[in-house]
Amino acid sequence: MYRRWLWPALALPGVVWLVLLFIVPFYAVLGVAFGTVDPILFQPVPIWNPLEWNVGWISEVLGRLAPGGIWFDVEVRTLLYVLISLALCLLIGYPVAYYTARHAGRWKGVVLILIILPLWISYMMRMLAWVNLLQQDGWVNDVLTWTHVLSQPRDWLGGSASTVILALVYGYIPYLILPLFAALDRIDRSHLEAARDLGASRWYAFRRVTLPLSKTGILGGAVLITLPMFGDYYTPNIVSGSPKTSMIGNQIDLYFHGGPQPTIGAALTIVLAAFLTILMLYYLRSIHRAQQEVGTVGAL
Amino acid sequence: MTHPKERPDSLSRRNFLLKSAGAAVALSAAGPLLAACGNSTSVPESTGAGGELLGPGGLPLARPDRRVILPRWEEPIASGLQPETGGTFTVFNYPSYLYKKLLTEFGARYGVDVQYTPFDNVNSGLQRLASGAVTPDVMEITPDTLDIGVAGKLIKPLNLDYIPNLQKNIWPQLVDPFYDGESRYTVPYTVYATGIAWRTDEIKEDIAGMKQPWDIFWESQAYNGKVALLSENRETIGMALLRKGNTDINTEDSALVNAAVSDLKELYGICNIKVDDIQYQTVPEGSSWLHQAWSGDMIAGYIYYLPKGTPASALAFWKPPKGKGPIQNDCFSICSTTKKPVLSHLFLNYLIDNGVAYDNFVNFNGYQPPLNEIEPDTLVQKGVVPPNLADSVLTNDDLGPDSLQYCTLTSQGQQIWEDGYSNFLAGGGS
Repeated sequence: MYRRWLWPALALPGVVWLVLLFIVPFYAVLGVAFGTVDPILFQPVPIWNPLEWNVGWISEVLGRLAPGGIWFDVEVRTLLYVLISLALCLLIGYPVAYYTARHAGRWKGVVLILIILPLWISYMMRMLAWVNLLQQDGWVNDVLTWTHVLSQPRDWLGGSASTVILALVYGYIPYLILPLFAALDRIDRSHLEAARDLGASRWYAFRRVTLPLSKTGILGGAVLITLPMFGDYYTPNIVSGSPKTSMIGNQIDLYFHGGPQPTIGAALTIVLAAFLTILMLYYLRSIHRAQQEVGTVGAL
Repeated sequence: MTHPKERPDSLSRRNFLLKSAGAAVALSAAGPLLAACGNSTSVPESTGAGGELLGPGGLPLARPDRRVILPRWEEPIASGLQPETGGTFTVFNYPSYLYKKLLTEFGARYGVDVQYTPFDNVNSGLQRLASGAVTPDVMEITPDTLDIGVAGKLIKPLNLDYIPNLQKNIWPQLVDPFYDGESRYTVPYTVYATGIAWRTDEIKEDIAGMKQPWDIFWESQAYNGKVALLSENRETIGMALLRKGNTDINTEDSALVNAAVSDLKELYGICNIKVDDIQYQTVPEGSSWLHQAWSGDMIAGYIYYLPKGTPASALAFWKPPKGKGPIQNDCFSICSTTKKPVLSHLFLNYLIDNGVAYDNFVNFNGYQPPLNEIEPDTLVQKGVVPPNLADSVLTNDDLGPDSLQYCTLTSQGQQIWEDGYSNFLAGGGS
C-alpha cells in the first residue's frame, strides 16, 4: 500500500506547482479574454463560467490578425524575427555546445560558467548596456570602424530590424546552448566510434549519428527560446523604438496599460498561446519520434 | 509485450499525444457551443438620456470652455483636526517625479515614515488602487482620469481649510479649474505644454519660424532614425490632428482619428519614426535630434543630461501658441484608502508651498509648478533656465477657455483613440 502511493506522491510538488503557477493563471487569462470590462475603472471583469463566455473579443482579435487586418504586418514581422533569430541562435549555439561537450575537456566547466554568466545580470540591464555600446559613438562602432569593417559608424539604434534580431539572439542564446550541450554531452561516444569503424567520414558520422541524437536538445532549446521570443516586447522597445520593428508583444503590452480594452490584450494572449500550443505539440511529437530513433540506434 | 509491473492506465507519451489530440478535437467541437455564448466587443455606453456625452460613471465631461463641478461622494473631513502621526505615509506617483529630500523633510516634520510607491501611468495606478493592491495616502492624478477616481470613489473630497496655499500661491486659472470646479478633489502639481524639442546643432530648419511647425516631422527625411514622438495615444494622434488644423483634440469622430493615424503612418517611410518617453535624456545626449516633447523635458535635460562641453544653446523647444497646442497639468489627490486624512491634506498644502514647489522644480524634476511667483524672466536671470529655453516656462495666461487640453473621453472615445494608436504602433500598411 505504502509503495503504491510513494511514487505518485513524489509528483505532488510538481502538480501543485503546475496548478498554482500555470493552470490557475491561464484560466484567469481565459476568464478575462472571454469576460467584460468594468464600466468605471475599465478593469477586466472575468467570466469564469465557460457557458457565459463572450467570444466577441477573440473574434475581434482574429479579424485584426487576418490578412488585411491592422495587426497582420506585426504578426508576420514577429514570426520572421523569431524564425531568423532561432536560425541564428542555432548557427551560433550549436558549434559552441558541440565544442563544449566534445572538445573543451577540463575547461568544460569554465566554458559552461562563461555561457551562464550573462544570466546573472537581468535581461533588461544587459539590453540597456547594449544601448550604450551601440550608440553612434559607442564601442561597437569604434571597433568596427577601427578594424575597417565599417567605413563610418552605423546607426544601430535608429530603428533597424537587424538590431532587434541581433538583440533577441544575444538575449536568448544561452537558453538554447544549455539543453543542446546536455543532449550532446549525453551521446555515447561508442556510437560515433562504431560509425567511424564502419567507414563513415567525420561529416557523415556527424550527419547520421550526432545530429539525430542531438535532435531532442535542438528542439528543447528551440522551444525554450521561441516561446518567450513570441511574447517579447521590451527588446524592440529598448534597442529600436520604431513601430516598424514592433512585435506582437508590444500590442499586448499596449492593451494592458490601463486603457478601456484590457480584454483585447487578454484575447490576443489567448490566440498567441493557442498558436504556441501547436508548436508545443509538434515538439512533443518530435521528441517522441527522436527517442524512438535513439532506441533504434541503441538497439543497433 | 508489456511488463506486468507497468500500470496499464499509465499515461505514455503516445497516450498523451492521443489525449492531446482528443482535447484539440473537443476544443474545436466547442466552437458551436462558444458561438452560443455572448459576442460583444463594446465598451460601456457613454451617452446620457438627453444624448449628451458622459464620462466614466455617468459624470459630465469637462472641457476648458465647459466647467464641471464634480459631485462629492462623501463629506470632506471636518476643519480644525490635528494631523495623524506615526507609522507610514505613502505617496503614489510616477517614478522619480517628486524630490525625495522633500518627502523626507515632510516625514520628519510630522513624525511619519514617507514611502514612495511608483506606478506606470495614472490609469493603471487607479486600477491597482481599486483592486486593493496598494493602499496609498495621496496620489498623482490627471484631469483626464479624474472622473474615474471620483466615480470609482477612489479619491476623497477635500476640505480646503487645510490647504491655504491653493488660494495664496497658485495661478488663478487653477484655483478653481474647469475640470474640478471649486477644487473639490484636486490641487495642481505641475503644468506643461506639448511641443517640439530639437538639437540646434543637428536640425537645420527654423522650426519655430515655420508656418506649421508640426510639419517638421513630415519633412525630416534627412534625420532618419533620429526622430521620435511621445509614446502616448492622446499626444501622437492629437499632434497629427493639430497639424491639419483640427483643434478639437478631444474629438470622438473616428474618421478624424483614423485620418490622423494614416498621417502618422506616413512617418515610417519619411524618417523611420520612433516612439518613446525619454526625450528628456535622448535629446540632450544627442541620440535623438527631433522629438515631440513636454515643456519640462528640456529643462530637466539641461539640468541632468546635457553632456559636459555641450552648450545649453544646443537644445531648443517650441511651444505652440495658445489655442494651437495642448497645455496640461498634473494634480494631487487624497486616496480613499488613507488612514491619515488630515495629514494627507497637509501634504497637499506642503506640495504647493512656494519654497517646496520651487525646490522640487529646479532641483529635481524640471516640471514647473503653477506658482504665481514663478516668472520666465526671473528663472532666466537666476540661471535656472537658459535663455533659449525660456519658451518652456508657462504662465497663467497660457490657460483659459480658449486653451487646448486633453480631457476625459467617453468609453467609446477612448476605444477609438486606443485602437488608432494600436494601428500606428503595429507599423504596417503605410
